[in-house]
Amino acid sequence: MPHNTHLLRPALGGLTALALAVPTAATAQQWETRAGDRNWGLDISLILEGVYYNEMSRGISDPAGFDDGHDHGHDHGNGHDHGFDDGFNLGHSELVFEANLGDLFDGVLMIGFDEDHVEVEEAYLTTRALPGGFQVKAGKFLSDIGYINSRHVHDWDFVDRPLVNEYLFGDHGLQETGVQATWLAPTETYIQLGVELLQGDNSFIPYQGGGGTHTTNAGDDIRSSFSDVSGPRLVTAFAKFGPDLGPDHAMQFGVSGGYANTWQEETEHGSGLEEWDGDAWFAGLDAVYKYSSGRAYGHGDWRLQGEYFYREIDVDYQRREDQTTIAGNAQGSGKARQDGLYIQGVYGFAPRWEAGLRSEALGLTNRGLPTNEGSERNFAEPSFGTSYRHSAQVTFRPVEPVFLRAQLSQNDFVDEDGDRDRGLEFMLQLNVALGAHGAHRF
Amino acid sequence: MSFSKTRTRITRTLAAVASVAALTFILLPAQAAAGLNIVATTSSLGALAREIGGDEAEVRVLAPPDRDAHYLDARPSFMAALRRADMLLELGAGLEEGWLPAAQRGANNRAINSGQPGHFRAADKVELRRSITMDGPNMGHVHEEGNPHFNADPLRMAELALALGQRMGELRPDHAEAFVQRAEAAAESLREHAEKLAERVEPDQRIVVYHEDLDYLEEWLPVEIVGYLEAAPGIPPTARHLRSLVDDLEGTEGTVLYAEFQPPRGAEFLERNLGWPTHAVPLDPPADSGLDGYLELMSTWAQALPQR
Repeated sequence: MPHNTHLLRPALGGLTALALAVPTAATAQQWETRAGDRNWGLDISLILEGVYYNEMSRGISDPAGFDDGHDHGHDHGNGHDHGFDDGFNLGHSELVFEANLGDLFDGVLMIGFDEDHVEVEEAYLTTRALPGGFQVKAGKFLSDIGYINSRHVHDWDFVDRPLVNEYLFGDHGLQETGVQATWLAPTETYIQLGVELLQGDNSFIPYQGGGGTHTTNAGDDIRSSFSDVSGPRLVTAFAKFGPDLGPDHAMQFGVSGGYANTWQEETEHGSGLEEWDGDAWFAGLDAVYKYSSGRAYGHGDWRLQGEYFYREIDVDYQRREDQTTIAGNAQGSGKARQDGLYIQGVYGFAPRWEAGLRSEALGLTNRGLPTNEGSERNFAEPSFGTSYRHSAQVTFRPVEPVFLRAQLSQNDFVDEDGDRDRGLEFMLQLNVALGAHGAHRF
Repeated sequence: MSFSKTRTRITRTLAAVASVAALTFILLPAQAAAGLNIVATTSSLGALAREIGGDEAEVRVLAPPDRDAHYLDARPSFMAALRRADMLLELGAGLEEGWLPAAQRGANNRAINSGQPGHFRAADKVELRRSITMDGPNMGHVHEEGNPHFNADPLRMAELALALGQRMGELRPDHAEAFVQRAEAAAESLREHAEKLAERVEPDQRIVVYHEDLDYLEEWLPVEIVGYLEAAPGIPPTARHLRSLVDDLEGTEGTVLYAEFQPPRGAEFLERNLGWPTHAVPLDPPADSGLDGYLELMSTWAQALPQR
């Protein structure tokens, strides 16, 4: 199976070299820190969150097609309730360190934690001194595809992540290690173009590599048919446009996509081994509109936001009972096609108070991975229905770094047999940013 | 399996896109080095820059003058403007910290990075008044370095004009002499106008303001700030706080001043209970103003007070 990483790798090397060489050359120029400029130290902020969760009525825990028993990399632990227990939860808290090296680099380390996990969510360097409107980011970071993917809980308008982002990219969104290069055009209209070379190894772009073995109940050893593919295995690209609409209105449109040259997934059974081996791509659109009324404390402000993403996984499938025996008719290839969207609006109905609505659909197109499980003789991609969720929130912001949010969500998920059921959940979120938390992005 | 064709195609396309981007960058016409492209966060700074720059500068103001410059979004249009700027003027001292760093980071333009000559931070050039937020615990926003609303003081604006003329001259040595001359003339008219206006105001005026954004009037007018409508900076007026203000000021004379974007309710309460006149005043001149716009704004402030 030939792979075209031989082109990607030099590009990656080149980008890195560029990122390192240019500022080094630039240090020959004189830069000085001016007295009183406090932007040169280490800024630390702590973002603490508490969530009170109540499942008022239980519906279907997972939308069909996105967690179809094969556990396609999706493990919510205790079903789909955001991992929240009924009652009080320490939500998703963060410790953020930001520092810089003169005006050459910004560094960010973001550690996310809840009651039982601590993980490095982001740790990256950003160049600040490249010429020509270029900027390079390297490390572990949230991809800039779409709109909400690169934003943290503290900047969201709802307690939870939109379904389309969660089920196509994971509990943290598309979070990868790699390199990003962006270019900002020198134009009146904001035009940003970016590409990312990413490792491509997470639960949503799974990679197994060669050399695995599975032992069946019958005692047969089955060697994995996957081959090693060196990273980066995922490349994304995005473009963002923001026209200048005067003091009251602001907009940003985005288009983004990605291609993973390796998509390897296996499921081990007592009776044998199922393997899917291929590649995948995704593409999406996003748009944000903000209206600023000019009144105090956000009174009369509007925010509208929506995103759509589509994903296709193109795989060869086989199910073996031992090293050489293909199970009955269980070999072939096919495509999984899935999508999702959300649209939300938030209005500042009084000073420091806002209310919002969000509607979501997941799996308007919803064909799963090819499998022969339905029938030994019938190999096909299963087709599933569409799941929906509707949420309403009210947020009170006594002071800018603190907010208290109540949210009611009705989920209307479909299961694998096509049955629908509705669930209702209530969440109360307290989110506080302490310390020197950085400026807010648009 | 044979996805290799697709893969080659996609990789080739990406390589092509990258080359085109690189070529575009190389072939971009170098910016004409004549005029200075200046982006100012507020229209008060913009007015100084226009006056000093004359025809050799093009000035764009980010914050609409009728908005609170503390709370803006780091809009894409701001980043597009900063991308092409030779110079960024900010008041500093925390005024723009909620949005400007994000806009600077997104501008991909080294010229306006903190610490570069193209980044002019006004708060570094003048002595700041102590901010009430520096004393004692408070929940609102904190002005750690001092009160950043010094655009209400024409005397400090005069100092700024001189420093700005100097800096613009460093960036465009060909025009340095003209910049410095115009800066000196601007400083002169600011000081003269301030003196003239102050003479016309009745002495020993007492004023209540909404936020500490008009404190600097004390520096050049015969006034004393005797209270704030906000319970604490960033916290809207509470009934209890207004009540205690009225109790404190009962039986005295004075004026209430607040910014046009601030809610009028607190001021109206004082007007009813104390009989003090209230005025909603702009904090900055119109977005496209030159120095004249700022001088007019000074008159507006001074004439909101009883005249001799």
